[in-house]
Amino acid sequence: MAKFNFKMPEFKKPELKKPLLPKDKDYKKLAHDFWYGKPHGERRLGDLYCDKTGLYKHREWRGVKDTFYYFHMVWLYGYANMVMDINKYGGLPTFLKGVWRYRWLGQTYLTVMHWYDRGFEGLRGEALRACPWHYRGMTNATIYQFMQMLRNDLKTNPDSSKVKARHDKTMAHDETVWGGIFYPFSKELENVPLQMIPYFVTCHVNNHTVLNYIDAIQSIGLPGDPCPMCQAEAGIFVQDDVPDYYKAVITSNEACDGSVATSVIQDWLIDKPLFAMPQPMLFDDPLVQKHCQKEIEDAWKFIEEQTGVPFDWDQLVKKLESQNELQRFEWEKWDVAGKTSYYPINGVSQALYRIYQSQYGDLPIWHFVDKKVSKILNRCVENKINSYPLTRHRVIAWSCAPLYYSNWCTWAYNCWGLNCIINMDSLMFDMTIRTDSYEHTLEDMATYHEWAPMRRMAVGGMHHIFELWENMERFNCDMVMMYDQLQCKGMQGVHGLFEDEFRKRNIHAIWMPHALPDKRTVSRAEIRRIINDYMTTVMHEEPLDPSLLDFDDSMGW
Amino acid sequence: MCKCRKSKKSCKCGCKVLKILGKIFAILAAIYAVLFAVFFFDLDGKVIYHVVEPFLCKHYDKMERRNPLDVPYDTTTGVR
Repeated sequence: MAKFNFKMPEFKKPELKKPLLPKDKDYKKLAHDFWYGKPHGERRLGDLYCDKTGLYKHREWRGVKDTFYYFHMVWLYGYANMVMDINKYGGLPTFLKGVWRYRWLGQTYLTVMHWYDRGFEGLRGEALRACPWHYRGMTNATIYQFMQMLRNDLKTNPDSSKVKARHDKTMAHDETVWGGIFYPFSKELENVPLQMIPYFVTCHVNNHTVLNYIDAIQSIGLPGDPCPMCQAEAGIFVQDDVPDYYKAVITSNEACDGSVATSVIQDWLIDKPLFAMPQPMLFDDPLVQKHCQKEIEDAWKFIEEQTGVPFDWDQLVKKLESQNELQRFEWEKWDVAGKTSYYPINGVSQALYRIYQSQYGDLPIWHFVDKKVSKILNRCVENKINSYPLTRHRVIAWSCAPLYYSNWCTWAYNCWGLNCIINMDSLMFDMTIRTDSYEHTLEDMATYHEWAPMRRMAVGGMHHIFELWENMERFNCDMVMMYDQLQCKGMQGVHGLFEDEFRKRNIHAIWMPHALPDKRTVSRAEIRRIINDYMTTVMHEEPLDPSLLDFDDSMGW
Repeated sequence: MCKCRKSKKSCKCGCKVLKILGKIFAILAAIYAVLFAVFFFDLDGKVIYHVVEPFLCKHYDKMERRNPLDVPYDTTTGVR
């Protein structure tokens, strides 16, 4: 019988003295970071990005309380309210028809929650509560406008008499014509800007969309050097991507006469009754005030003739006084922003909300949002809550901002502690409108109308663009982010004057080149590199979050 | 454990209601967990970026559009 040779395998005796979990991990800190979120400086937010796309490997863990707040009150609340708004303002079938027909809708607005994410990176506490309300207001206003366009659209509803009836009671206008011009008719008439939704807002939400329109206008022969804003606005007509929702249109000369190159093209392709209401460049000149007031009155006559809706003085007063309430709250916000460290609104929320609200005009959502933000603001001031404790520099942003990187200020605070307190476009429309008499109202409306976006500081004379210095003092800023729109001939003309003043006044100013909506000229990465270079070579500072210094988001929204 | 079960009598009390409520709660909890997973791993963004946007862009690129140069040039209609 063969012997069975079996050898027992050698078992290692377990080392009972060795702990099961590694000793070198600080579990108390891990638990603390899980519960409260990592402190600024340890977050490494750049590690969350997927290469090139700017999507997240996972969304930020902000601690238990803030992560679940974001999940419930920003993400879930945002999606739920978008669906409710779409149903309220026209219905899902209308929306889906629009998504199928119009590129700016389908390509841009489905990605909207990511726009929220980019703006709110790193936010905690009261800032995380205050800033999303601003975005909620803008989202509601955007849905309201595009649903009006879609449900009055004769291109997608050619045979509907109901749609035709609504179409005939709708006016379109250039996005830089202040919505307040239409207040006296707002009981029966709708007004929707032509380009705010298909162009302006799309640049912030998904910067890919606008490139199609810029290429379209250049494909029919427009050279590439006019302002890309005007190019894109004309391009949406070249692509036939504007709904036919309106009876007639009121235009302006946009922010400056750069639009002259493209407004003829737009008029040709719109091919509808049109009233031109260009704002004067030198708006301080008293001789132009009477002219502007007369133009507004002529615009009102035009609206009456085209739509049959009569002028209503009481409705005008009601809307103006409602708008004045919004302005008074904005002044409160500026007070807190300028005189304290307790302002919870970050740079991108401040800038976008303000320009949207003040340019479009009065809407119920703005009042709803302001009530919410007011409570948070009061809480921050009473309890002395500093939402941006690692602020190293208080920054004022001047001139026209890059639309494709409006959230640069969120990145700049997270990476370098640059807190963008206020920006130039927020400071336009710094007025309430008198309603005590027709003459006073018309005077003030003419002034407000003349102060169109970018125009208020960027044209009218050097003393306006040099209001930067008094606003630096007003908001206690020690640094300037000088936006440098490369295709803006107006601002290029004063570049040297600003350089001289920065030197003379010993002001730290970073020039941020960009091409407004077109990310191809100066990429987001290039903008970051410029700021990084200044902060290291001139300011000799170390980044708060080195993972944000260099990353590739070239294909991101 | 429910008293009815202990006595092996047929359950007339709220056991059935509790069972149904339990099932509803479990379904809601599962939905909540799925939504949180979608949120936390940015699955909504990834689906839109990699699936929805390319699909829609292909559609928009193929759409027939009017040639703007075919539109007669006439800026005098109703312009003030």
